[in-house]
Amino acid sequence: MSLESAEKAQQVALQGTGSKRGSFWEQLVAARWCYLFMIPALILSILFTAYPILASWYFSFLDWSGFTASRTWVGLANYAEVLHDKFFWDAFKRSFIFMFASTPPRLILALILAIILNDQALKLAPVFRTFFFIPVVTTAAIVGIVMTFVFSPFNGPVNKALLGIGLVDQPIDFLGNPDTALWTVVVVFVWKNFGITMIYWLAALQTIPAELYEAAKVDGAGAWAIFRSITMPLLVPFTIIITLITVVQTLRVFPIVQTMTGGGPFFASEVMEVYVYRTAFGTGGIPRLGYASAVGVFFGLATLGIAILQGVGLRRANAQRRELMMGGE
Amino acid sequence: MNQPQHPQLSRRDLLRLLSGAAGAAALAACGTTTPTAAPAPSVAGSNSTAPSAAGSTAPSSAASTAPSASASARPAGTTAATGSPTSSAAGTAVRATPSTAANIPTEIQIVNSGAKLPTEKVSFRWVDSGDQKAVFFKQYFQKYQQVHSNITIDYNPLPWNEIGKVIPLGVQNGNAPDVFQVPQNVPGPQAVREGWVAPLDDLIPNFAEWKKGFPPGAFVTGITDFNGKTYTIPLTSNQRYGQLTLYNQEYLQQAGYDPSAKPFTWTEFRAALKKLTEQGKGKYFGLIFEGNQTARFAAVVNSLAQMAGAGGTGGTGVADNINWKTGQYNYLSDQYLGAIDLLLGIKSDNSVFPGSLSLNAPQARAQFPNGVAAIILQGPWNIPQWQLENPTFKFGVASQPIPDNGNPLPLGYGPGGSNLLWIYAKSPNKAVAADILSYLGSLQGQVAWGSISDGADSPIFPQANQYAKVSPLAKQAQDLFEKQMRLAPDPNVRNPDVASVSLEFRALNPDFGQVVQGLFSGQLKDPKAAMKDLQDRSEAELDRAIKAAQAKGAKVSRDDWKFANWDPTKNYTEADYKGA
Repeated sequence: MSLESAEKAQQVALQGTGSKRGSFWEQLVAARWCYLFMIPALILSILFTAYPILASWYFSFLDWSGFTASRTWVGLANYAEVLHDKFFWDAFKRSFIFMFASTPPRLILALILAIILNDQALKLAPVFRTFFFIPVVTTAAIVGIVMTFVFSPFNGPVNKALLGIGLVDQPIDFLGNPDTALWTVVVVFVWKNFGITMIYWLAALQTIPAELYEAAKVDGAGAWAIFRSITMPLLVPFTIIITLITVVQTLRVFPIVQTMTGGGPFFASEVMEVYVYRTAFGTGGIPRLGYASAVGVFFGLATLGIAILQGVGLRRANAQRRELMMGGE
Repeated sequence: MNQPQHPQLSRRDLLRLLSGAAGAAALAACGTTTPTAAPAPSVAGSNSTAPSAAGSTAPSSAASTAPSASASARPAGTTAATGSPTSSAAGTAVRATPSTAANIPTEIQIVNSGAKLPTEKVSFRWVDSGDQKAVFFKQYFQKYQQVHSNITIDYNPLPWNEIGKVIPLGVQNGNAPDVFQVPQNVPGPQAVREGWVAPLDDLIPNFAEWKKGFPPGAFVTGITDFNGKTYTIPLTSNQRYGQLTLYNQEYLQQAGYDPSAKPFTWTEFRAALKKLTEQGKGKYFGLIFEGNQTARFAAVVNSLAQMAGAGGTGGTGVADNINWKTGQYNYLSDQYLGAIDLLLGIKSDNSVFPGSLSLNAPQARAQFPNGVAAIILQGPWNIPQWQLENPTFKFGVASQPIPDNGNPLPLGYGPGGSNLLWIYAKSPNKAVAADILSYLGSLQGQVAWGSISDGADSPIFPQANQYAKVSPLAKQAQDLFEKQMRLAPDPNVRNPDVASVSLEFRALNPDFGQVVQGLFSGQLKDPKAAMKDLQDRSEAELDRAIKAAQAKGAKVSRDDWKFANWDPTKNYTEADYKGA
């Protein structure tokens, strides 16, 4: 790619709106190298993201086991069955409990840590950042298996600690007790993933212009006042997006739930993905890939609803932010 | 605080970036039906030993406790059978000769079956469910490639849930492995009907004579044979169960028990577990159980109940838990409810290792030699693994608990054997496949198999057990199986159309194992009501599946699941099928 064409591409990209913008074709030609480099990623996304999604939409209208040649078109019958499936609604409910229980602690914990680690005076910040980020890059299935030992009622370190400090007098079967299984997975999930949320917050914090803080300090504002009047309002749009990302992540918890409890005992921790998996690849009968697809699509639509709500919120927050920044200038 | 560092990224840029990510995430959430993207749970489907869905007796339930391939990997040279290549294997094939007791080697031999092997370079692929097969075939294929240097073998031991995806996809794309195991949820007859597999009759040299070497009942129409041709060989026998009383010798001796001399009755079992738990004083417990793996609940209740006379065979498939005499499901029988009561009693005595509900079978198996419990109810595949990994651990093998009247009935096992191996219909290397299967179905191959699997998976040839080098404990288990198990009927044998019902039968929700787990965890309170509900749902689903199969032209009825002339104390022979 020549320097000139790169510059031209950059110009086109920077020109934004207005009459200076060339025709669509000209833009495409000018930015041809950019598009060329994007093609491999595009192909991979089509193959491994777009195609499976579209295929699952199609499968959801079939009565199909996934391996036989015969596929019967059943229209909306699978969806009608989903609506009357008690196990679906139970899993649906649990997925949302999981979401509501894990999102706030993850956001708040990560924000507090991000604010602390954003302080330049803290020399060991990068070490801590890495430390908090390690669980994020550890394979979820491995974390899940290790955690079954950590929470084991027999010589598990958590129970040993609780017994040691006298908080309990009998070990707790965290993963075998229907009342605690789901919550234990939530705790592990929050611990495993708050590191990524922390990184989002750090990036957001670093976009707040230094001048605002300096001006506030000159005006004699304290740390709390600065946080309340500058950091918080300027973080609002980020908060919405980070919340959305976090919420969507909390609905994709298959490996950790499957390895820690398998959805048990007796479905006590069966979230939507585990239910879909059980229906699509279950034993003891013919797998129902068509029905499992319908369950997945239905649940996907529900999550899309959340995304749309948040999109509306984001638009409002953006308007607010513009106002605030204009006022600041 | 809140000092900005290097705001290289503008707020607008970051917002844009994050919005994009959020959009993508939302879109991805909309397609949550892609569980294939998630790592497959290794424990769920790592059972190598389960026979394919049709005609199984020890199927997913018993087999699901089998160690995963990685767990059972055995360093070379640990037994005579795993020793260095013999001179015969170092470069030339041995000619196939009828073996006598005196000259049967326990090591792997590369035998020339007489198949017309290719001379050009060939790439050969083999997929099975691993475990003991992986231990055997890794050694076998290494030697095979030494002798046949033009043949490269790509051996892939996979968990069952992977087989369930890989094989159908391979067949659809026309590039399935040359030899494979049919996925557990695809009945054998279906694989034949859909043209996945090739008959062995014209492939294996001296086929008729070779086939005669197998014991009666190994080849059965509807399981291995279809339309007068043989499509698969069972490598191992179905004659085994996965609920042996495996016990810590030290603890039981201390408490004054010797179940290998006299098996526990149900009542004695419960009392012994209680005493052992008290003896353990919190350091160990009476019983450790893999309660996270619901199929194990089904297997244990079923097996206890069958030995107490419930009538039927085991497992979690369509025909399992049906009483052959009545053709109805067995869930409300006194024996089933009694076995559940026994489990609940053991639990209420606090005799179960805490945390058992979050353990799967391999985890429980791994914990047991650490001395955390006195007894575990699992299969013979534990024996070689403990002997290898925990050589100082002293344990004993005994029958599963027998009914209180002291008169156990034999457990039924399905005809046809297990570890069925099939040749892909479009394989370009059928001669190589036939050469290998020919050896596996010979006495030499079976003895080598028996020696390497060391009792974990009995060879299909009963006489191979005599010549194979197995440990005394493994031998003890084999003797128990011979004494305690009889060939049971299988609806597929009498009417091959029954397979169409398997293809319509939808998994019950919750199924048998899940219901027992729910009772055990206390989430379901009333055993009788829960089992009544299970009974009703099972009956309704079987009726529905039969109707659906009939609508597609299958000639089936509920009578296909009834064998009025069945006697659990005797092997159910071909003559019995005719008389039923």
